[in-house]
Amino acid sequence: MSDQAPLDTRRSRTRLLVAAGAVIVVATYAYLVVAQPAGMADSGTTRAGLIAMAGYVIGAVLIAAGSIHQLPTTTIAMIPVAIAVNIVVGQLVAVLGLPVYLDSIGTVLVSVLAGPAAGVVTGILANVIWGLTLNPIPLPFAVVQVVIAVLAGTAARIGVFRRVYLPPVAGLVTGVAAAVVSAPISAFVFGGATGGGTGAIVGAFQAMGQSLLASTTLQGLLSDPLDKLITFTVVGILLAALPSRFLQRFPFAREHRVVTTAPLAPPPSPSE
Amino acid sequence: MTQAQFVGTGSPVHRLNPVTKLVALLSILVIVFALPQWWVSAIVVVGVLLPAAVIARCGGPLIAVGGRILLPIVVVLVLVQGLTFPGGRTMVWQWGVLSVTSEGLLFALNVGARIVCLVLASVLLVLTTHPGDLMSALTEAGMSPKFSYIISSTLQLIPAFRSRADAILLAQQARGLAVPRNPLRRIGVMMPLLGPLVLGMFTDVEERGTAMEARGFGSTARRTALEAIPDSTAQRVARWVMPLVAVAAVVVPLVWEVL
Repeated sequence: MSDQAPLDTRRSRTRLLVAAGAVIVVATYAYLVVAQPAGMADSGTTRAGLIAMAGYVIGAVLIAAGSIHQLPTTTIAMIPVAIAVNIVVGQLVAVLGLPVYLDSIGTVLVSVLAGPAAGVVTGILANVIWGLTLNPIPLPFAVVQVVIAVLAGTAARIGVFRRVYLPPVAGLVTGVAAAVVSAPISAFVFGGATGGGTGAIVGAFQAMGQSLLASTTLQGLLSDPLDKLITFTVVGILLAALPSRFLQRFPFAREHRVVTTAPLAPPPSPSE
Repeated sequence: MTQAQFVGTGSPVHRLNPVTKLVALLSILVIVFALPQWWVSAIVVVGVLLPAAVIARCGGPLIAVGGRILLPIVVVLVLVQGLTFPGGRTMVWQWGVLSVTSEGLLFALNVGARIVCLVLASVLLVLTTHPGDLMSALTEAGMSPKFSYIISSTLQLIPAFRSRADAILLAQQARGLAVPRNPLRRIGVMMPLLGPLVLGMFTDVEERGTAMEARGFGSTARRTALEAIPDSTAQRVARWVMPLVAVAAVVVPLVWEVL
């Protein structure tokens, strides 16, 4: 690795990695949706699983490698906290017995405060850490976190979090996108069975005559939008509750005036 | 339960270079997904993973952890696909409106064998490799040290984070916060918990960032390793041979179809 490369070469290498990763992910999805009807005829012995897995994992790795190079040290220091928020709140919700996952609050929070690149790294590494500690099943779904982070960062940039009623809408949109992107993994890698309740819903849709990919997509559309709606709403309330001096620390939040329409405050002086 | 599941028995499998084990895991995954017949996965599980687990002396934990993850998935897979697989035509067994088709069962067998392989291979890697060693080895192999910082520090952070969450919950209950029985109303409990938690944790971060920058964390110069990771020529060769076998598993069937 040529780490002594000048700054703008490194920046273009970053862009190249992210763009290549995004192209691979989109191409994988497009191929699976187009090739799927013919491929499903012969009882799971197709290469759709390999393509879904390889395309999404390679894409996610490229995007993560590209994104992490453009992050300053203060953002890197913040990402472990955000991943811990993802995991601890996700487990807490499971213990409280809520009917949602809420395992991407940290991802959305970081995307909103420090930009989508930071959110992408948070989301992908959160899934890697799930894989290292509890359960390897979420690993192939890492690319879904990329979609969540990019959409959350974009929503923050266009000012969704300045109004109380807009975050739930952005959450719904993100949930639909997440359901669509994760469906090929559920279908071709896990055969629709990623968990008890979701598996039963997939079965119900298949019994109504839907194909496997259509069933996992519809199952995702039932659960993901509600989950992301609550996630975005929680993040919106959290942002409103956090002191504005805290929010001013983040260059991304300051530059795009993520939370408030008030004029730009001067950055906190170093002598403070 | 978020602690890494590493079981240190000091066996030959534990002493392998972590990168070798990771390459082996990835090669196995490519092979079982490229050759999607159930017997390929069965051969890998019986011929590679189980012997490796026996040599590593962690067969018990592997079965316990893997079984806990796999049991619900496999049961749901067999039930759902056996009963409702879209391509199912041949009835094997019928009872009222329920009918099990052989196509559905074959699909569940093919997909299920692959998932068993995926989960057992990943769990075996985690059981026999300390996360810190894995990160050092990958950084030495050229991965950005930022990745290893994030992963290692998250693993240390989670227990501290959880005890802080417990303390905040107790403090809020002490001043009268009730946890309602209605699951939907419990979401309301999240807010008085999350606010102090997030604010407190992120406040700690600011000082950490300054301290890291002062110690050259952002430097892009190549670092030297404090702890040498054991490696051998045989493993270096294996790290080339295993991916080649995996590539062959992808390419040979394709060529076979074309000819």
